[in-house]
Amino acid sequence: MLVLSRKINQSIMIGDDVRIVIVAVDRDQVKLGIEAPRAVPVHRSEVYEEIRKTNQEALGAAPVAAGKPERATLKPRTKPNH
Amino acid sequence: MEEQQITVELPRFGACSYAPDEIIEFPWGLPGFPTLRNWLPLNLDSHPSFVWLQSLDDTSVALPAVDPWMVFENYDPKLPAYAFTSLEIREAGDFATLCVVVVTPNAAEMTINLMAPVIINLRTRKARQIMLDGSSYSPREPMPRKMPASSKSA
Repeated sequence: MLVLSRKINQSIMIGDDVRIVIVAVDRDQVKLGIEAPRAVPVHRSEVYEEIRKTNQEALGAAPVAAGKPERATLKPRTKPNH
Repeated sequence: MEEQQITVELPRFGACSYAPDEIIEFPWGLPGFPTLRNWLPLNLDSHPSFVWLQSLDDTSVALPAVDPWMVFENYDPKLPAYAFTSLEIREAGDFATLCVVVVTPNAAEMTINLMAPVIINLRTRKARQIMLDGSSYSPREPMPRKMPASSKSA
């Protein structure tokens, strides 16, 4: 892991498109600003980790009953009429 | 001319045949499965509410998922910009939505991941699991054990 020290208002470039700015430092909390293209997802790590865990746990499901597998037809959501 | 069918032996389901254009590609994999790109959506005729996302790159991996609106009528995920741009989606008719389901080992409980829906572009057959960071939706929302027999008709 690359470890860098920065002061408030200093920033880090990741690749050509992502910038992380130190916006504020307050005792045990750091406020970060992230500039990235709209196409790049930015998430708190614990969110990513929770999704990774639920995907892993989903593997444990056994098919509820035996059955012949068929290709599923996927459809867009049709909103109910109001 | 009929498209060539590929047959694959699946640990959970036995033999299954499919055509290459039925493959759904996850260019970014999924969290936990970053290298698994090629997947096939399967129904078991005995349980049509579930869609099994079956990995073709590692046949031991299959994730159960459901249409979230079958159980949560008012589910209203606000997809972030990267979902639209990276999947080339322009409008609601372009894509299908599935949410991964976790069944506890003794099958006593089911939870659904409403915080990270799987979005599938139906035209390009490319898909991605999108995280709704900052939303109030839970990745482990409890689900009723009894699933509706079929989706509501429009």
